[in-house]
Amino acid sequence: MIIEIKDVVCRFGTVTALDGISLAVKQGEVVVVLGPSGSGKSTLLRCLNALEEIQSGEINVDGFLIDRNHRQIHQIRLEVGMVFQHFNLFPHLSVLENVNLAQRVVRKRSKVEAARVSSELLEKVGLEDKVGAFPGQLSGGQKQRVAIARALALNPKIMLFDEVTSALDPEMIGEVLEVMKQLAREGMTMLIVTHEIGFAREAADRVVFIDAGKIVEEGSPQEFFSNPRNPRTKEFLAHVL
Amino acid sequence: MVWLAEQLGVLTKIFYYLIQVVHWTILISVSAYILALVLGLIFGIARISRNRFIRGLAGIYINVLRGVPLLVLIFFFYFGLGKFINLDRFVAGVIAVGVCYGAYMAEIFRSGIEAIDYGQHEAAMSLGMTRWQTLRHIILPQSFRIVVAPGANEFIACLKDSSLVSIIGLRELTRAGREYAAQYFLDFHTWLMVGLIYLIMTLTLTRLVKRLEKKFAIHGYGASRDDH
Ligand SMILES: Nc1ncnc2c1ncn2[C@@H]1O[C@H](COP(=O)(O)OP(=O)(O)O)[C@@H](O)[C@H]1O
Ligand SMILES: [Mg+2]
Repeated sequence: MIIEIKDVVCRFGTVTALDGISLAVKQGEVVVVLGPSGSGKSTLLRCLNALEEIQSGEINVDGFLIDRNHRQIHQIRLEVGMVFQHFNLFPHLSVLENVNLAQRVVRKRSKVEAARVSSELLEKVGLEDKVGAFPGQLSGGQKQRVAIARALALNPKIMLFDEVTSALDPEMIGEVLEVMKQLAREGMTMLIVTHEIGFAREAADRVVFIDAGKIVEEGSPQEFFSNPRNPRTKEFLAHVL
Repeated sequence: MVWLAEQLGVLTKIFYYLIQVVHWTILISVSAYILALVLGLIFGIARISRNRFIRGLAGIYINVLRGVPLLVLIFFFYFGLGKFINLDRFVAGVIAVGVCYGAYMAEIFRSGIEAIDYGQHEAAMSLGMTRWQTLRHIILPQSFRIVVAPGANEFIACLKDSSLVSIIGLRELTRAGREYAAQYFLDFHTWLMVGLIYLIMTLTLTRLVKRLEKKFAIHGYGASRDDH
Protein backbone atom coordinates (compact mmCIF):
# COMPACT_ATOMS: atom_id res chain seq x y z
CA MET A 1 0.00 0.00 0.00
CA ILE A 2 1.49 3.29 -1.04
CA ILE A 3 -0.86 5.31 1.17
CA GLU A 4 -2.05 4.11 4.56
CA ILE A 5 -4.33 6.31 6.59
CA LYS A 6 -5.27 4.97 10.02
CA ASP A 7 -7.92 6.46 12.33
CA VAL A 8 -6.97 10.00 11.42
CA VAL A 9 -8.57 12.85 13.32
CA CYS A 10 -8.05 16.43 12.21
CA ARG A 11 -9.63 19.33 14.06
CA PHE A 12 -9.77 23.07 13.54
CA GLY A 13 -10.63 24.46 16.95
CA THR A 14 -14.00 22.94 17.74
CA VAL A 15 -14.67 21.75 14.17
CA THR A 16 -13.74 18.14 13.51
CA ALA A 17 -12.88 18.00 9.82
CA LEU A 18 -11.72 14.37 9.81
CA ASP A 19 -13.32 12.15 12.37
CA GLY A 20 -11.40 8.89 12.40
CA ILE A 21 -10.71 8.15 8.77
CA SER A 22 -8.95 5.03 7.56
CA LEU A 23 -8.07 4.43 3.95
CA ALA A 24 -5.45 2.42 2.11
CA VAL A 25 -4.51 3.09 -1.49
CA LYS A 26 -2.59 0.73 -3.74
CA GLN A 27 0.15 1.81 -6.07
CA GLY A 28 -1.40 2.95 -9.35
CA GLU A 29 -4.91 3.15 -7.95
CA VAL A 30 -7.20 6.05 -8.84
CA VAL A 31 -9.47 6.98 -5.96
CA VAL A 32 -12.20 9.55 -6.40
CA VAL A 33 -13.39 11.22 -3.21
CA LEU A 34 -16.97 12.46 -3.18
CA GLY A 35 -18.92 14.21 -0.49
CA PRO A 36 -20.96 17.30 0.31
CA SER A 37 -19.29 20.64 0.83
CA GLY A 38 -17.53 20.88 4.19
CA SER A 39 -17.40 17.12 4.66
CA GLY A 40 -13.58 17.08 4.90
CA LYS A 41 -12.47 16.14 1.38
CA SER A 42 -9.91 18.92 1.06
CA THR A 43 -8.64 18.33 4.56
CA LEU A 44 -8.07 14.66 3.78
CA LEU A 45 -5.97 15.52 0.75
CA ARG A 46 -4.10 18.27 2.57
CA CYS A 47 -3.18 15.93 5.42
CA LEU A 48 -1.48 13.61 2.94
CA ASN A 49 0.82 16.47 2.06
CA ALA A 50 1.24 17.63 5.65
CA LEU A 51 -0.43 20.92 4.84
CA GLU A 52 -2.64 20.23 7.86
CA GLU A 53 -1.66 18.77 11.17
CA ILE A 54 -3.49 15.75 12.47
CA GLN A 55 -4.41 15.34 16.13
CA SER A 56 -4.41 11.57 16.22
CA GLY A 57 -3.99 8.58 13.97
CA GLU A 58 -1.26 7.88 11.50
CA ILE A 59 -0.54 8.53 7.85
CA ASN A 60 2.06 6.62 5.91
CA VAL A 61 2.99 7.68 2.42
CA ASP A 62 5.40 5.52 0.47
CA GLY A 63 6.86 4.21 3.71
CA PHE A 64 7.27 7.63 5.32
CA LEU A 65 5.32 8.58 8.41
CA ILE A 66 3.76 11.97 7.70
CA ASP A 67 4.56 14.41 10.45
CA ARG A 68 4.52 18.16 9.93
CA ASN A 69 7.42 18.61 12.27
CA HIS A 70 9.50 15.96 10.64
CA ARG A 71 12.87 17.30 9.63
CA GLN A 72 12.48 15.87 6.17
CA ILE A 73 8.94 16.95 5.53
CA HIS A 74 10.09 18.90 2.47
CA GLN A 75 11.58 15.75 1.02
CA ILE A 76 8.48 13.73 1.76
CA ARG A 77 6.31 16.34 0.07
CA LEU A 78 8.22 15.72 -3.15
CA GLU A 79 6.60 12.30 -3.34
CA VAL A 80 3.16 13.86 -3.32
CA GLY A 81 2.14 16.35 -6.01
CA MET A 82 -0.89 18.54 -5.47
CA VAL A 83 -3.11 20.53 -7.80
CA PHE A 84 -5.47 23.13 -6.36
CA GLN A 85 -8.86 24.48 -7.32
CA HIS A 86 -7.49 27.99 -7.82
CA PHE A 87 -4.32 26.94 -9.67
CA ASN A 88 -2.01 28.91 -7.36
CA LEU A 89 0.46 29.45 -10.16
CA PHE A 90 3.24 31.90 -9.39
CA PRO A 91 2.08 35.02 -11.25
CA HIS A 92 5.50 36.68 -11.39
CA LEU A 93 7.09 33.72 -13.17
CA SER A 94 6.64 32.54 -16.73
CA VAL A 95 5.08 29.18 -17.47
CA LEU A 96 8.49 27.63 -17.91
CA GLU A 97 9.81 29.16 -14.69
CA ASN A 98 6.74 27.96 -12.82
CA VAL A 99 7.57 24.41 -13.81
CA ASN A 100 11.31 24.88 -13.36
CA LEU A 101 11.49 26.52 -9.95
CA ALA A 102 10.99 23.64 -7.54
CA GLN A 103 13.09 21.34 -9.70
CA ARG A 104 15.92 23.81 -9.32
CA VAL A 105 15.65 24.79 -5.67
CA VAL A 106 14.20 21.59 -4.19
CA ARG A 107 15.33 18.77 -6.46
CA LYS A 108 18.58 20.67 -7.14
CA ARG A 109 18.52 19.85 -10.81
CA SER A 110 20.73 21.73 -13.22
CA LYS A 111 19.23 24.43 -15.38
CA VAL A 112 19.52 22.30 -18.47
CA GLU A 113 18.04 19.22 -16.85
CA ALA A 114 15.13 21.21 -15.36
CA ALA A 115 14.39 22.89 -18.68
CA ARG A 116 14.40 19.52 -20.42
CA VAL A 117 11.93 18.01 -17.94
CA SER A 118 9.74 21.12 -18.13
CA SER A 119 9.54 21.18 -21.91
CA GLU A 120 8.71 17.51 -21.96
CA LEU A 121 5.88 17.97 -19.48
CA LEU A 122 4.54 21.12 -21.08
CA GLU A 123 4.39 19.24 -24.33
CA LYS A 124 2.57 16.41 -22.61
CA VAL A 125 -0.13 18.79 -21.33
CA GLY A 126 -0.27 20.48 -24.73
CA LEU A 127 1.27 23.82 -23.81
CA GLU A 128 4.65 23.73 -25.53
CA ASP A 129 3.79 27.02 -27.25
CA LYS A 130 3.12 28.80 -23.94
CA VAL A 131 6.49 28.37 -22.23
CA GLY A 132 7.22 32.10 -22.28
CA ALA A 133 3.73 33.25 -21.31
CA PHE A 134 2.81 34.47 -17.84
CA PRO A 135 -0.08 32.92 -15.88
CA GLY A 136 -2.10 36.11 -16.31
CA GLN A 137 -2.12 35.54 -20.04
CA LEU A 138 -3.56 32.02 -19.90
CA SER A 139 -7.10 30.67 -19.81
CA GLY A 140 -8.26 28.76 -16.75
CA GLY A 141 -7.83 25.41 -18.46
CA GLN A 142 -4.32 26.29 -19.55
CA LYS A 143 -3.41 27.47 -16.04
CA GLN A 144 -4.60 24.22 -14.56
CA ARG A 145 -2.57 22.21 -17.06
CA VAL A 146 0.51 24.23 -16.15
CA ALA A 147 -0.22 23.50 -12.49
CA ILE A 148 -0.35 19.78 -13.28
CA ALA A 149 2.95 19.98 -15.16
CA ARG A 150 4.49 21.89 -12.27
CA ALA A 151 3.51 19.18 -9.81
CA LEU A 152 4.63 16.36 -12.13
CA ALA A 153 8.03 17.98 -12.65
CA LEU A 154 9.19 16.71 -9.27
CA ASN A 155 8.38 13.10 -10.26
CA PRO A 156 5.91 12.49 -7.46
CA LYS A 157 4.65 8.99 -6.82
CA ILE A 158 1.21 10.24 -5.86
CA MET A 159 -0.91 13.06 -7.25
CA LEU A 160 -3.67 14.85 -5.33
CA PHE A 161 -6.34 16.82 -7.19
CA ASP A 162 -8.66 19.05 -5.16
CA GLU A 163 -11.64 20.14 -7.26
CA VAL A 164 -9.30 21.15 -10.04
CA THR A 165 -12.10 21.80 -12.53
CA SER A 166 -14.49 23.61 -10.19
CA ALA A 167 -13.19 27.08 -11.04
CA LEU A 168 -13.14 26.46 -14.79
CA ASP A 169 -15.56 27.53 -17.49
CA PRO A 170 -17.43 24.42 -18.71
CA GLU A 171 -15.74 24.36 -22.09
CA MET A 172 -12.32 24.02 -20.42
CA ILE A 173 -13.11 21.18 -18.06
CA GLY A 174 -12.60 18.51 -20.70
CA GLU A 175 -9.00 19.43 -21.55
CA VAL A 176 -7.96 19.15 -17.88
CA LEU A 177 -9.82 15.89 -17.27
CA GLU A 178 -8.18 14.50 -20.40
CA VAL A 179 -4.73 15.12 -18.94
CA MET A 180 -5.79 13.44 -15.72
CA LYS A 181 -7.14 10.41 -17.56
CA GLN A 182 -3.87 10.05 -19.38
CA LEU A 183 -2.01 10.14 -16.08
CA ALA A 184 -4.30 7.44 -14.74
CA ARG A 185 -3.59 5.28 -17.78
CA GLU A 186 0.12 5.70 -17.18
CA GLY A 187 -0.31 4.20 -13.75
CA MET A 188 -0.07 7.24 -11.49
CA THR A 189 -1.53 6.82 -8.02
CA MET A 190 -4.17 9.52 -7.70
CA LEU A 191 -6.60 10.88 -5.12
CA ILE A 192 -9.15 13.07 -6.80
CA VAL A 193 -11.81 15.24 -5.21
CA THR A 194 -14.28 16.15 -7.91
CA HIS A 195 -17.92 16.72 -8.71
CA GLU A 196 -17.49 15.34 -12.22
CA ILE A 197 -19.45 12.14 -11.87
CA GLY A 198 -18.87 11.11 -15.48
CA PHE A 199 -15.15 11.33 -14.95
CA ALA A 200 -15.41 9.30 -11.73
CA ARG A 201 -17.32 6.54 -13.50
CA GLU A 202 -14.78 6.38 -16.27
CA ALA A 203 -11.45 6.90 -14.53
CA ALA A 204 -11.85 5.78 -10.94
CA ASP A 205 -10.84 2.38 -9.64
CA ARG A 206 -12.62 3.17 -6.42
CA VAL A 207 -15.04 5.80 -5.16
CA VAL A 208 -15.00 6.94 -1.55
CA PHE A 209 -17.86 8.93 -0.09
CA ILE A 210 -17.17 11.17 2.90
CA ASP A 211 -19.73 12.79 5.12
CA ALA A 212 -19.01 14.83 8.26
CA GLY A 213 -15.40 13.71 8.36
CA LYS A 214 -16.15 9.99 8.06
CA ILE A 215 -16.03 7.57 5.17
CA VAL A 216 -19.59 6.34 4.96
CA GLU A 217 -19.38 4.27 1.80
CA GLU A 218 -16.84 3.08 -0.72
CA GLY A 219 -16.70 0.76 -3.67
CA SER A 220 -16.04 0.38 -7.35
CA PRO A 221 -17.71 3.05 -9.51
CA GLN A 222 -20.18 0.50 -10.87
CA GLU A 223 -21.48 -0.65 -7.52
CA PHE A 224 -21.21 2.78 -5.92
CA PHE A 225 -23.24 4.64 -8.54
CA SER A 226 -25.74 1.93 -9.43
CA ASN A 227 -26.33 0.52 -6.01
CA PRO A 228 -25.54 2.95 -3.17
CA ARG A 229 -26.44 1.55 0.23
CA ASN A 230 -25.99 4.41 2.70
CA PRO A 231 -28.94 6.85 2.89
CA ARG A 232 -26.53 9.84 2.87
CA THR A 233 -24.91 8.55 -0.30
CA LYS A 234 -28.29 8.07 -1.93
CA GLU A 235 -29.30 11.59 -1.00
CA PHE A 236 -26.04 13.01 -2.32
CA LEU A 237 -26.22 11.10 -5.58
CA ALA A 238 -29.84 12.17 -6.07
CA HIS A 239 -28.58 15.74 -6.08
CA VAL A 240 -25.60 15.34 -8.40
CA LEU A 241 -26.74 12.73 -10.87
CA MET B 1 12.98 96.18 -12.19
CA VAL B 2 16.05 97.02 -10.22
CA TRP B 3 14.35 95.72 -7.10
CA LEU B 4 13.46 92.44 -8.74
CA ALA B 5 16.97 91.98 -10.08
CA GLU B 6 18.31 92.67 -6.62
CA GLN B 7 16.01 90.08 -5.05
CA LEU B 8 16.95 87.50 -7.61
CA GLY B 9 20.59 88.25 -7.00
CA VAL B 10 20.19 87.65 -3.27
CA LEU B 11 18.29 84.42 -3.87
CA THR B 12 20.84 83.17 -6.36
CA LYS B 13 23.62 83.86 -3.90
CA ILE B 14 21.79 81.91 -1.19
CA PHE B 15 21.12 79.12 -3.64
CA TYR B 16 24.81 78.73 -4.44
CA TYR B 17 25.65 78.82 -0.77
CA LEU B 18 23.13 76.15 0.14
CA ILE B 19 23.81 73.90 -2.79
CA GLN B 20 27.27 73.32 -1.40
CA VAL B 21 25.87 71.43 1.59
CA VAL B 22 22.93 69.74 -0.06
CA HIS B 23 25.00 66.60 -0.51
CA TRP B 24 24.94 66.18 3.26
CA THR B 25 21.17 66.11 3.22
CA ILE B 26 21.27 63.53 0.46
CA LEU B 27 23.98 61.51 2.19
CA ILE B 28 22.09 61.42 5.49
CA SER B 29 18.81 60.47 3.83
CA VAL B 30 20.31 57.80 1.60
CA SER B 31 22.37 56.24 4.42
CA ALA B 32 19.44 56.35 6.82
CA TYR B 33 17.15 54.89 4.17
CA ILE B 34 19.51 52.01 3.41
CA LEU B 35 19.64 51.24 7.12
CA ALA B 36 15.86 51.49 7.22
CA LEU B 37 15.51 49.07 4.31
CA VAL B 38 17.70 46.48 5.98
CA LEU B 39 16.02 46.85 9.37
CA GLY B 40 12.60 46.98 7.74
CA LEU B 41 13.16 43.75 5.85
CA ILE B 42 14.51 41.95 8.91
CA PHE B 43 11.81 43.14 11.30
CA GLY B 44 9.06 42.92 8.68
CA ILE B 45 9.86 39.23 8.21
CA ALA B 46 10.38 38.74 11.95
CA ARG B 47 6.93 40.21 12.56
CA ILE B 48 5.35 37.23 10.78
CA SER B 49 7.73 34.63 12.16
CA ARG B 50 6.26 31.43 13.55
CA ASN B 51 8.37 31.95 16.65
CA ARG B 52 6.36 33.96 19.18
CA PHE B 53 9.45 35.39 20.82
CA ILE B 54 10.88 36.74 17.58
CA ARG B 55 7.47 38.07 16.59
CA GLY B 56 7.14 39.82 19.94
CA LEU B 57 10.57 41.35 19.72
CA ALA B 58 9.85 42.76 16.28
CA GLY B 59 6.55 44.12 17.57
CA ILE B 60 8.32 45.92 20.38
CA TYR B 61 10.84 47.47 17.99
CA ILE B 62 8.14 48.66 15.61
CA ASN B 63 5.81 50.07 18.25
CA VAL B 64 8.49 51.74 20.33
CA LEU B 65 10.23 53.39 17.40
CA ARG B 66 7.00 54.57 15.85
CA GLY B 67 5.77 55.89 19.16
CA VAL B 68 8.71 58.17 19.93
CA PRO B 69 9.22 61.52 18.14
CA LEU B 70 12.16 61.43 15.75
CA LEU B 71 13.63 64.52 17.37
CA VAL B 72 13.77 62.70 20.70
CA LEU B 73 15.46 59.74 19.00
CA ILE B 74 18.09 62.06 17.56
CA PHE B 75 18.76 63.57 20.99
CA PHE B 76 18.88 60.12 22.49
CA PHE B 77 21.40 58.73 20.01
CA TYR B 78 23.61 61.83 20.04
CA PHE B 79 23.45 63.18 23.58
CA GLY B 80 22.04 60.16 25.43
CA LEU B 81 24.32 57.49 24.05
CA GLY B 82 27.01 60.16 23.85
CA LYS B 83 27.40 59.73 27.59
CA PHE B 84 28.81 56.25 27.02
CA ILE B 85 30.20 56.11 23.53
CA ASN B 86 31.41 58.87 21.32
CA LEU B 87 29.15 58.83 18.32
CA ASP B 88 29.94 61.17 15.50
CA ARG B 89 27.10 63.60 14.57
CA PHE B 90 26.63 62.02 11.21
CA VAL B 91 26.57 58.47 12.54
CA ALA B 92 24.20 59.35 15.39
CA GLY B 93 21.90 61.21 13.02
CA VAL B 94 21.84 58.43 10.44
CA ILE B 95 21.16 55.78 13.07
CA ALA B 96 18.35 57.80 14.63
CA VAL B 97 16.61 58.43 11.31
CA GLY B 98 17.41 54.89 10.09
CA VAL B 99 15.96 53.02 13.07
CA CYS B 100 12.92 55.26 13.02
CA TYR B 101 12.22 54.68 9.35
CA GLY B 102 13.15 51.02 9.76
CA ALA B 103 10.03 50.67 11.88
CA TYR B 104 7.85 52.22 9.18
CA MET B 105 9.51 50.12 6.50
CA ALA B 106 8.98 46.98 8.59
CA GLU B 107 5.25 47.63 8.59
CA ILE B 108 5.29 48.23 4.84
CA PHE B 109 7.19 44.99 4.22
CA ARG B 110 4.97 43.05 6.57
CA SER B 111 1.79 44.22 4.88
CA GLY B 112 3.38 43.55 1.49
CA ILE B 113 4.14 39.97 2.50
CA GLU B 114 0.74 39.44 4.06
CA ALA B 115 -0.97 40.77 0.94
CA ILE B 116 0.16 37.71 -1.00
CA ASP B 117 -2.54 35.09 -1.32
CA TYR B 118 -2.10 32.17 1.08
CA GLY B 119 -2.48 29.81 -1.87
CA GLN B 120 0.99 30.89 -2.98
CA HIS B 121 2.47 29.59 0.29
CA GLU B 122 0.52 26.37 -0.04
CA ALA B 123 1.58 25.77 -3.61
CA ALA B 124 5.21 26.35 -2.68
CA MET B 125 4.93 24.08 0.37
CA SER B 126 3.29 21.34 -1.68
CA LEU B 127 6.30 21.54 -4.00
CA GLY B 128 8.58 20.81 -1.06
CA MET B 129 9.94 24.32 -0.71
CA THR B 130 11.06 25.46 2.73
CA ARG B 131 9.77 28.64 4.33
CA TRP B 132 12.89 30.50 3.31
CA GLN B 133 12.82 29.26 -0.25
CA THR B 134 9.17 30.26 -0.44
CA LEU B 135 9.86 33.70 0.93
CA ARG B 136 12.80 34.27 -1.34
CA HIS B 137 11.47 32.90 -4.64
CA ILE B 138 7.72 33.34 -4.33
CA ILE B 139 6.63 35.83 -1.71
CA LEU B 140 9.21 38.60 -1.70
CA PRO B 141 9.37 39.07 -5.48
CA GLN B 142 5.60 39.52 -5.51
CA SER B 143 5.59 41.71 -2.39
CA PHE B 144 8.22 43.89 -3.97
CA ARG B 145 5.75 45.07 -6.57
CA ILE B 146 3.34 46.00 -3.82
CA VAL B 147 5.79 47.79 -1.55
CA VAL B 148 7.74 49.66 -4.18
CA ALA B 149 5.49 52.73 -4.18
CA PRO B 150 4.86 53.08 -0.43
CA GLY B 151 8.50 52.17 0.21
CA ALA B 152 9.78 54.86 -2.10
CA ASN B 153 7.40 57.37 -0.53
CA GLU B 154 9.08 56.68 2.78
CA PHE B 155 12.31 57.86 1.23
CA ILE B 156 10.71 61.20 0.45
CA ALA B 157 9.51 61.48 4.03
CA CYS B 158 12.96 60.45 5.21
CA LEU B 159 14.57 63.17 3.12
CA LYS B 160 12.33 65.80 4.68
CA ASP B 161 12.89 64.47 8.18
CA SER B 162 16.65 64.56 7.70
CA SER B 163 16.31 68.31 8.38
CA LEU B 164 15.79 67.40 12.04
CA VAL B 165 19.38 66.23 12.22
CA SER B 166 20.38 69.91 11.94
CA ILE B 167 19.58 70.17 15.64
CA ILE B 168 22.74 68.30 16.64
CA GLY B 169 24.89 70.60 14.55
CA LEU B 170 25.34 68.62 11.38
CA ARG B 171 25.70 71.13 8.57
CA GLU B 172 23.15 69.86 6.13
CA LEU B 173 20.67 72.01 4.24
CA THR B 174 18.56 73.22 7.15
CA ARG B 175 21.52 73.90 9.43
CA ALA B 176 23.31 75.86 6.74
CA GLY B 177 20.14 77.85 6.15
CA ARG B 178 19.92 78.71 9.84
CA GLU B 179 23.51 79.90 9.88
CA TYR B 180 23.08 81.96 6.75
CA ALA B 181 19.88 83.59 7.96
CA ALA B 182 21.44 84.46 11.28
CA GLN B 183 24.55 85.90 9.74
CA TYR B 184 22.93 88.12 7.11
CA PHE B 185 19.50 88.67 8.70
CA LEU B 186 17.96 87.33 5.50
CA ASP B 187 15.42 85.03 7.12
CA PHE B 188 12.72 85.39 4.50
CA HIS B 189 14.96 84.79 1.50
CA THR B 190 16.94 82.03 3.14
CA TRP B 191 14.01 79.95 4.35
CA LEU B 192 12.25 80.48 1.06
CA MET B 193 15.27 79.06 -0.73
CA VAL B 194 15.76 76.20 1.75
CA GLY B 195 12.13 75.23 1.25
CA LEU B 196 12.48 75.50 -2.50
CA ILE B 197 15.48 73.20 -2.61
CA TYR B 198 13.66 70.55 -0.52
CA LEU B 199 10.65 70.97 -2.78
CA ILE B 200 12.68 70.46 -5.95
CA MET B 201 14.10 67.23 -4.53
CA THR B 202 10.78 65.88 -3.26
CA LEU B 203 8.85 66.78 -6.41
CA THR B 204 11.48 65.11 -8.57
CA LEU B 205 11.28 62.01 -6.41
CA THR B 206 7.50 62.01 -6.44
CA ARG B 207 7.52 61.91 -10.22
CA LEU B 208 10.05 59.11 -10.12
CA VAL B 209 7.87 57.10 -7.75
CA LYS B 210 4.91 57.50 -10.12
CA ARG B 211 7.03 56.07 -12.91
CA LEU B 212 8.21 53.17 -10.76
CA GLU B 213 4.66 52.44 -9.74
CA LYS B 214 3.55 52.20 -13.36
CA LYS B 215 6.49 50.09 -14.36
CA PHE B 216 5.91 47.48 -11.68
CA ALA B 217 2.13 47.52 -11.65
CA ILE B 218 1.35 46.08 -15.05
CA HIS B 219 2.34 42.51 -15.36
CA GLY B 220 2.78 41.49 -11.72
CA TYR B 221 -0.59 42.70 -10.53
CA GLY B 222 -2.59 41.95 -13.62
CA ALA B 223 -1.41 38.39 -13.50
CA SER B 224 -2.11 37.78 -9.84
CA ARG B 225 -5.60 39.35 -10.12
CA ASP B 226 -6.30 37.19 -13.08
CA ASP B 227 -5.35 34.11 -11.20
CA HIS B 228 -8.70 34.04 -9.43
N1 LIG C 1 -8.08 26.18 8.05
C1 LIG C 1 -9.29 25.91 8.59
N2 LIG C 1 -9.68 26.55 9.70
C2 LIG C 1 -10.87 26.26 10.27
N3 LIG C 1 -11.74 25.39 9.79
C3 LIG C 1 -11.41 24.72 8.66
C4 LIG C 1 -10.18 24.95 8.01
N4 LIG C 1 -10.11 24.15 6.93
C5 LIG C 1 -11.28 23.46 6.92
N5 LIG C 1 -12.06 23.79 7.96
C6 LIG C 1 -13.36 23.19 8.27
O1 LIG C 1 -13.24 21.81 8.22
C7 LIG C 1 -14.39 21.23 7.60
C8 LIG C 1 -13.97 20.44 6.38
O2 LIG C 1 -13.45 21.33 5.41
P1 LIG C 1 -12.94 20.86 4.00
O3 LIG C 1 -12.00 19.75 4.18
O4 LIG C 1 -12.46 22.07 3.29
O5 LIG C 1 -14.29 20.36 3.31
P2 LIG C 1 -14.59 20.04 1.79
O6 LIG C 1 -13.31 20.13 1.02
O7 LIG C 1 -15.16 18.67 1.80
O8 LIG C 1 -15.59 21.05 1.35
C9 LIG C 1 -15.32 22.38 7.29
O9 LIG C 1 -16.26 22.49 8.34
C10 LIG C 1 -14.43 23.57 7.27
O10 LIG C 1 -15.13 24.71 7.64
MG1 LIG D 1 -12.79 21.46 -0.54
